[in-house]
Amino acid sequence: MRLEKCWFCSSTVYPGHGIQFVRNDAKIFRFCRSKCHKNFKMKRNPRKVKWTKAYRRLHGKDMTQDSTFEFERKRNRPERYDRSIAENTLKAIKKIAKIRSDRSSDHIKNRLKTGKIQRQKEARKQLEQDIHLVKAPLALAQDSSLRLPKIKVNVSQTQTEENQQMEE
Amino acid sequence: MAASFASKCSRVGRSLLGGLGNNLSGLQSASNEVVGNNVWSQQQRTFIQMRTVLKVVDNSGAKKVMCIQALKGKKGARLGDTIVASVKEAMPNGKVKKGKVVYGVVVRAAMQRGRCDGSEVKFDDNAVVLVDKQGQPIGTRVFGPVPHELRNKKHVKILTLAKHIA
Repeated sequence: MRLEKCWFCSSTVYPGHGIQFVRNDAKIFRFCRSKCHKNFKMKRNPRKVKWTKAYRRLHGKDMTQDSTFEFERKRNRPERYDRSIAENTLKAIKKIAKIRSDRSSDHIKNRLKTGKIQRQKEARKQLEQDIHLVKAPLALAQDSSLRLPKIKVNVSQTQTEENQQMEE
Repeated sequence: MAASFASKCSRVGRSLLGGLGNNLSGLQSASNEVVGNNVWSQQQRTFIQMRTVLKVVDNSGAKKVMCIQALKGKKGARLGDTIVASVKEAMPNGKVKKGKVVYGVVVRAAMQRGRCDGSEVKFDDNAVVLVDKQGQPIGTRVFGPVPHELRNKKHVKILTLAKHIA
Protein backbone atom coordinates (compact mmCIF):
# COMPACT_ATOMS: atom_id res chain seq x y z
CA MET A 1 0.00 0.00 0.00
CA ARG A 2 1.44 3.31 -1.01
CA LEU A 3 0.15 6.70 0.05
CA GLU A 4 0.71 9.20 -2.72
CA LYS A 5 0.69 12.97 -2.54
CA CYS A 6 -1.86 15.03 -4.39
CA TRP A 7 -0.23 16.99 -7.18
CA PHE A 8 -2.27 20.10 -6.48
CA CYS A 9 -2.73 20.39 -2.73
CA SER A 10 0.01 17.99 -1.52
CA SER A 11 -2.35 16.14 0.76
CA THR A 12 -2.16 12.38 1.09
CA VAL A 13 -4.07 10.32 -1.46
CA TYR A 14 -5.24 7.13 0.18
CA PRO A 15 -5.88 4.04 -1.92
CA GLY A 16 -9.16 4.14 -3.77
CA HIS A 17 -9.44 7.89 -3.61
CA GLY A 18 -9.20 10.49 -6.31
CA ILE A 19 -8.24 10.33 -9.95
CA GLN A 20 -4.96 10.15 -11.75
CA PHE A 21 -4.20 11.72 -15.08
CA VAL A 22 -1.42 10.30 -17.23
CA ARG A 23 0.07 12.77 -19.66
CA ASN A 24 1.46 11.53 -22.97
CA ASP A 25 5.03 11.86 -21.69
CA ALA A 26 4.06 9.34 -18.96
CA LYS A 27 4.03 11.93 -16.17
CA ILE A 28 1.39 10.95 -13.66
CA PHE A 29 -0.69 13.63 -11.94
CA ARG A 30 -2.53 12.33 -8.91
CA PHE A 31 -5.38 14.23 -7.37
CA CYS A 32 -6.95 13.64 -3.97
CA ARG A 33 -10.43 14.83 -4.95
CA SER A 34 -12.36 16.40 -7.79
CA LYS A 35 -11.66 19.89 -6.38
CA CYS A 36 -7.96 19.50 -7.08
CA HIS A 37 -8.61 17.84 -10.43
CA LYS A 38 -10.88 20.68 -11.53
CA ASN A 39 -8.34 23.28 -10.46
CA PHE A 40 -5.74 21.44 -12.52
CA LYS A 41 -8.05 21.40 -15.51
CA MET A 42 -8.49 25.16 -15.11
CA LYS A 43 -4.68 25.37 -15.42
CA ARG A 44 -4.30 26.99 -12.03
CA ASN A 45 -0.87 27.13 -10.49
CA PRO A 46 -0.89 25.50 -7.04
CA ARG A 47 1.71 28.04 -5.90
CA LYS A 48 -0.80 30.82 -6.50
CA VAL A 49 -3.82 29.17 -4.94
CA LYS A 50 -3.94 30.06 -1.28
CA TRP A 51 -5.30 26.87 0.22
CA THR A 52 -2.62 24.57 -1.17
CA LYS A 53 0.41 23.37 0.70
CA ALA A 54 2.66 24.73 -2.05
CA TYR A 55 1.40 28.27 -1.46
CA ARG A 56 1.71 28.01 2.30
CA ARG A 57 5.23 26.68 2.06
CA LEU A 58 6.26 29.30 -0.45
CA HIS A 59 4.91 32.14 1.64
CA GLY A 60 6.35 30.94 4.93
CA LYS A 61 2.97 30.15 6.43
CA ASP A 62 3.85 26.63 7.43
CA MET A 63 6.86 24.95 8.90
CA THR A 64 9.02 23.63 6.08
CA GLN A 65 12.15 22.24 7.66
CA ASP A 66 11.79 19.93 10.58
CA SER A 67 13.23 16.63 11.70
CA THR A 68 9.75 15.16 12.01
CA PHE A 69 9.31 15.37 8.25
CA GLU A 70 12.17 13.00 7.70
CA PHE A 71 10.22 10.01 8.96
CA GLU A 72 7.91 10.34 5.99
CA ARG A 73 9.98 9.04 3.13
CA LYS A 74 9.48 7.12 -0.08
CA ARG A 75 10.86 3.64 0.46
CA ASN A 76 11.12 1.37 -2.55
CA ARG A 77 12.13 -1.71 -0.62
CA PRO A 78 9.36 -3.33 1.39
CA GLU A 79 10.14 -3.66 5.07
CA ARG A 80 10.13 -7.17 6.47
CA TYR A 81 7.39 -7.55 9.05
CA ASP A 82 8.53 -7.72 12.64
CA ARG A 83 5.97 -7.59 15.40
CA SER A 84 8.04 -5.61 17.87
CA ILE A 85 9.14 -3.08 15.26
CA ALA A 86 5.56 -2.61 14.13
CA GLU A 87 4.49 -2.09 17.72
CA ASN A 88 7.18 0.49 18.34
CA THR A 89 6.38 2.24 15.09
CA LEU A 90 2.74 2.52 16.02
CA LYS A 91 3.72 4.03 19.36
CA ALA A 92 6.17 6.40 17.72
CA ILE A 93 3.66 7.61 15.15
CA LYS A 94 1.48 9.15 17.83
CA LYS A 95 4.39 10.81 19.58
CA ILE A 96 5.86 12.17 16.37
CA ALA A 97 2.50 13.51 15.25
CA LYS A 98 2.13 15.34 18.55
CA ILE A 99 5.63 16.80 18.36
CA ARG A 100 4.99 17.91 14.82
CA SER A 101 1.68 19.60 15.60
CA ASP A 102 3.26 21.37 18.59
CA ARG A 103 6.15 22.59 16.53
CA SER A 104 3.93 23.78 13.71
CA SER A 105 1.72 25.72 16.14
CA ASP A 106 4.86 27.23 17.66
CA HIS A 107 5.98 28.19 14.18
CA ILE A 108 2.70 29.98 13.54
CA LYS A 109 2.90 31.74 16.90
CA ASN A 110 6.41 32.96 16.14
CA ARG A 111 5.29 34.09 12.74
CA LEU A 112 2.47 36.16 14.22
CA LYS A 113 4.71 37.69 16.87
CA THR A 114 6.30 40.28 14.58
CA GLY A 115 2.90 41.58 13.52
CA LYS A 116 1.87 41.95 17.14
CA ILE A 117 4.98 43.97 18.01
CA GLN A 118 4.41 46.15 14.98
CA ARG A 119 0.81 46.80 15.94
CA GLN A 120 1.79 47.72 19.49
CA LYS A 121 4.42 50.12 18.22
CA GLU A 122 1.94 51.80 15.92
CA ALA A 123 -0.61 52.11 18.68
CA ARG A 124 1.93 53.69 21.01
CA LYS A 125 2.91 56.18 18.33
CA GLN A 126 -0.70 57.07 17.67
CA LEU A 127 -1.28 57.62 21.36
CA GLU A 128 1.64 60.02 21.53
CA GLN A 129 0.71 61.94 18.39
CA ASP A 130 -3.04 62.14 18.71
CA ILE A 131 -3.39 62.67 22.45
CA HIS A 132 -4.65 66.21 21.79
CA LEU A 133 -7.84 64.75 20.36
CA VAL A 134 -8.65 63.38 23.77
CA LYS A 135 -7.09 66.09 25.94
CA ALA A 136 -6.77 69.64 24.55
CA PRO A 137 -3.54 70.76 26.24
CA LEU A 138 -3.81 74.49 25.56
CA ALA A 139 -7.39 74.83 26.65
CA LEU A 140 -6.71 72.90 29.76
CA ALA A 141 -3.61 74.95 30.55
CA GLN A 142 -5.22 78.35 29.89
CA ASP A 143 -8.65 78.05 31.42
CA SER A 144 -8.61 76.67 34.90
CA SER A 145 -12.46 76.71 35.04
CA LEU A 146 -12.53 74.11 32.28
CA ARG A 147 -10.32 71.87 34.26
CA LEU A 148 -12.34 69.46 36.26
CA PRO A 149 -10.12 67.51 38.53
CA LYS A 150 -12.42 64.50 38.44
CA ILE A 151 -12.46 64.36 34.67
CA LYS A 152 -8.74 64.85 34.49
CA VAL A 153 -8.12 62.01 36.81
CA ASN A 154 -10.50 59.81 34.84
CA VAL A 155 -8.80 60.59 31.56
CA SER A 156 -5.35 59.92 32.91
CA GLN A 157 -6.59 56.74 34.49
CA THR A 158 -8.06 55.47 31.24
CA GLN A 159 -4.84 56.35 29.50
CA THR A 160 -2.75 54.43 31.92
CA GLU A 161 -5.11 51.54 31.61
CA GLU A 162 -4.82 51.65 27.85
CA ASN A 163 -1.09 51.79 28.14
CA GLN A 164 -1.08 48.81 30.39
CA GLN A 165 -3.28 46.90 27.99
CA MET A 166 -0.99 47.73 25.11
CA GLU A 167 2.03 46.64 27.02
CA GLU A 168 0.37 43.42 27.94
CA MET B 1 -9.66 80.61 -23.48
CA ALA B 2 -8.02 78.07 -21.38
CA ALA B 3 -11.36 76.59 -20.49
CA SER B 4 -12.34 76.23 -24.14
CA PHE B 5 -8.97 74.64 -24.88
CA ALA B 6 -9.44 72.28 -22.03
CA SER B 7 -12.93 71.37 -23.18
CA LYS B 8 -11.63 70.74 -26.71
CA CYS B 9 -8.85 68.64 -25.34
CA SER B 10 -11.20 66.71 -23.21
CA ARG B 11 -13.53 66.16 -26.14
CA VAL B 12 -10.71 64.94 -28.32
CA GLY B 13 -9.41 62.87 -25.50
CA ARG B 14 -12.81 61.43 -24.89
CA SER B 15 -13.27 60.51 -28.50
CA LEU B 16 -9.83 58.95 -28.58
CA LEU B 17 -10.44 57.20 -25.35
CA GLY B 18 -13.83 56.17 -26.56
CA GLY B 19 -12.24 54.54 -29.56
CA LEU B 20 -9.65 52.95 -27.35
CA GLY B 21 -12.30 51.92 -24.92
CA ASN B 22 -14.24 50.24 -27.67
CA ASN B 23 -11.14 48.44 -28.80
CA LEU B 24 -10.30 47.50 -25.26
CA SER B 25 -13.75 46.23 -24.60
CA GLY B 26 -13.54 44.19 -27.76
CA LEU B 27 -10.22 42.77 -26.64
CA GLN B 28 -11.58 42.06 -23.23
CA SER B 29 -14.55 40.25 -24.59
CA ALA B 30 -12.26 38.26 -26.85
CA SER B 31 -9.97 37.38 -23.96
CA ASN B 32 -12.97 36.48 -21.87
CA GLU B 33 -14.10 34.14 -24.57
CA VAL B 34 -10.65 32.60 -24.68
CA VAL B 35 -10.68 32.12 -20.93
CA GLY B 36 -14.15 30.68 -21.14
CA ASN B 37 -12.94 28.28 -23.79
CA ASN B 38 -10.07 27.32 -21.53
CA VAL B 39 -12.40 26.61 -18.68
CA TRP B 40 -14.82 24.62 -20.76
CA SER B 41 -12.31 23.25 -23.25
CA GLN B 42 -12.34 20.00 -21.30
CA GLN B 43 -15.33 18.47 -22.97
CA GLN B 44 -17.16 15.57 -21.48
CA ARG B 45 -15.19 12.51 -22.54
CA THR B 46 -17.23 9.48 -23.52
CA PHE B 47 -16.84 5.97 -24.78
CA ILE B 48 -14.93 5.01 -27.88
CA GLN B 49 -17.76 4.34 -30.26
CA MET B 50 -18.42 4.12 -33.94
CA ARG B 51 -16.60 6.89 -35.89
CA THR B 52 -14.17 7.71 -33.07
CA VAL B 53 -10.79 8.41 -34.65
CA LEU B 54 -7.88 7.04 -32.63
CA LYS B 55 -4.16 7.46 -32.87
CA VAL B 56 -2.14 4.33 -33.56
CA VAL B 57 0.84 4.13 -31.19
CA ASP B 58 2.86 1.28 -32.67
CA ASN B 59 5.01 0.77 -35.76
CA SER B 60 2.47 -1.24 -37.72
CA GLY B 61 2.30 1.49 -40.36
CA ALA B 62 -1.15 2.84 -39.62
CA LYS B 63 -1.39 6.41 -38.28
CA LYS B 64 -5.04 6.88 -37.58
CA VAL B 65 -7.90 4.44 -37.39
CA MET B 66 -11.62 4.97 -37.05
CA CYS B 67 -13.56 2.74 -34.72
CA ILE B 68 -16.32 0.84 -36.47
CA GLN B 69 -17.29 -1.59 -33.73
CA ALA B 70 -16.55 -2.16 -30.07
CA LEU B 71 -16.24 -5.86 -29.36
CA LYS B 72 -17.54 -5.54 -25.82
CA GLY B 73 -20.00 -3.26 -24.15
CA LYS B 74 -23.21 -1.75 -25.37
CA LYS B 75 -22.18 1.90 -25.20
CA GLY B 76 -18.73 1.48 -26.64
CA ALA B 77 -15.18 0.62 -25.77
CA ARG B 78 -13.15 1.87 -22.82
CA LEU B 79 -9.58 1.62 -21.72
CA GLY B 80 -8.25 -1.87 -22.40
CA ASP B 81 -11.13 -3.00 -24.61
CA THR B 82 -10.72 -4.34 -28.12
CA ILE B 83 -12.28 -2.59 -31.09
CA VAL B 84 -12.65 -3.19 -34.79
CA ALA B 85 -11.41 -0.22 -36.79
CA SER B 86 -10.76 0.89 -40.32
CA VAL B 87 -7.42 2.43 -41.20
CA LYS B 88 -7.86 6.06 -42.23
CA GLU B 89 -4.24 7.15 -42.49
CA ALA B 90 -1.22 4.95 -43.02
CA MET B 91 2.47 5.17 -43.85
CA PRO B 92 3.15 4.41 -47.51
CA ASN B 93 5.37 1.39 -46.79
CA GLY B 94 3.86 -0.07 -43.65
CA LYS B 95 2.44 -3.47 -42.84
CA VAL B 96 -1.08 -2.08 -42.69
CA LYS B 97 -2.64 -0.31 -45.64
CA LYS B 98 -5.23 2.40 -45.72
CA GLY B 99 -8.80 1.15 -45.87
CA LYS B 100 -8.09 -2.18 -44.20
CA VAL B 101 -10.23 -3.41 -41.32
CA VAL B 102 -8.11 -4.14 -38.26
CA TYR B 103 -8.45 -5.09 -34.62
CA GLY B 104 -6.99 -2.87 -31.96
CA VAL B 105 -6.62 -2.62 -28.19
CA VAL B 106 -7.40 0.76 -26.63
CA VAL B 107 -4.26 1.54 -24.63
CA ARG B 108 -5.09 5.16 -23.81
CA ALA B 109 -8.49 6.73 -23.37
CA ALA B 110 -9.40 10.27 -22.40
CA MET B 111 -12.44 8.97 -20.56
CA GLN B 112 -11.63 7.96 -17.03
CA ARG B 113 -11.74 4.32 -16.08
CA GLY B 114 -12.11 2.96 -12.58
CA ARG B 115 -9.24 1.00 -11.16
CA CYS B 116 -9.60 -2.09 -9.04
CA ASP B 117 -9.06 -0.07 -5.84
CA GLY B 118 -11.77 2.46 -6.69
CA SER B 119 -9.59 5.31 -7.91
CA GLU B 120 -9.73 6.41 -11.51
CA VAL B 121 -7.25 6.86 -14.33
CA LYS B 122 -7.44 8.89 -17.50
CA PHE B 123 -5.10 9.79 -20.32
CA ASP B 124 -4.40 12.65 -22.67
CA ASP B 125 -5.76 11.12 -25.87
CA ASN B 126 -7.40 8.10 -27.41
CA ALA B 127 -4.78 5.67 -28.69
CA VAL B 128 -4.83 2.12 -29.97
CA VAL B 129 -2.35 -0.67 -30.61
CA LEU B 130 -3.22 -2.82 -33.60
CA VAL B 131 -3.50 -6.55 -32.95
CA ASP B 132 -4.49 -9.54 -35.02
CA LYS B 133 -7.50 -11.74 -34.30
CA GLN B 134 -5.52 -13.80 -31.81
CA GLY B 135 -4.57 -10.67 -29.85
CA GLN B 136 -0.90 -10.58 -30.84
CA PRO B 137 0.34 -7.06 -31.69
CA ILE B 138 1.07 -6.41 -35.37
CA GLY B 139 3.85 -3.90 -34.72
CA THR B 140 7.03 -4.51 -32.75
CA ARG B 141 7.09 -1.32 -30.69
CA VAL B 142 4.62 0.57 -28.51
CA PHE B 143 4.97 4.30 -27.87
CA GLY B 144 3.91 6.23 -24.80
CA PRO B 145 2.41 5.09 -21.52
CA VAL B 146 0.00 2.16 -21.28
CA PRO B 147 -2.10 1.12 -18.28
CA HIS B 148 -1.24 -1.96 -16.26
CA GLU B 149 -4.83 -3.15 -16.58
CA LEU B 150 -3.85 -4.70 -19.93
CA ARG B 151 -2.40 -7.59 -17.93
CA ASN B 152 -5.88 -8.55 -16.79
CA LYS B 153 -7.01 -8.43 -20.40
CA LYS B 154 -4.24 -10.87 -21.45
CA HIS B 155 -2.26 -8.34 -23.44
CA VAL B 156 1.06 -8.97 -21.73
CA LYS B 157 2.91 -8.61 -25.03
CA ILE B 158 1.86 -4.97 -25.32
CA LEU B 159 2.96 -4.36 -21.73
CA THR B 160 6.40 -5.82 -22.38
CA LEU B 161 6.81 -3.68 -25.48
CA ALA B 162 5.75 -0.50 -23.69
CA LYS B 163 8.33 1.75 -22.11
CA HIS B 164 6.10 3.41 -19.53
CA ILE B 165 3.43 1.63 -17.55
CA ALA B 166 0.97 3.81 -15.68
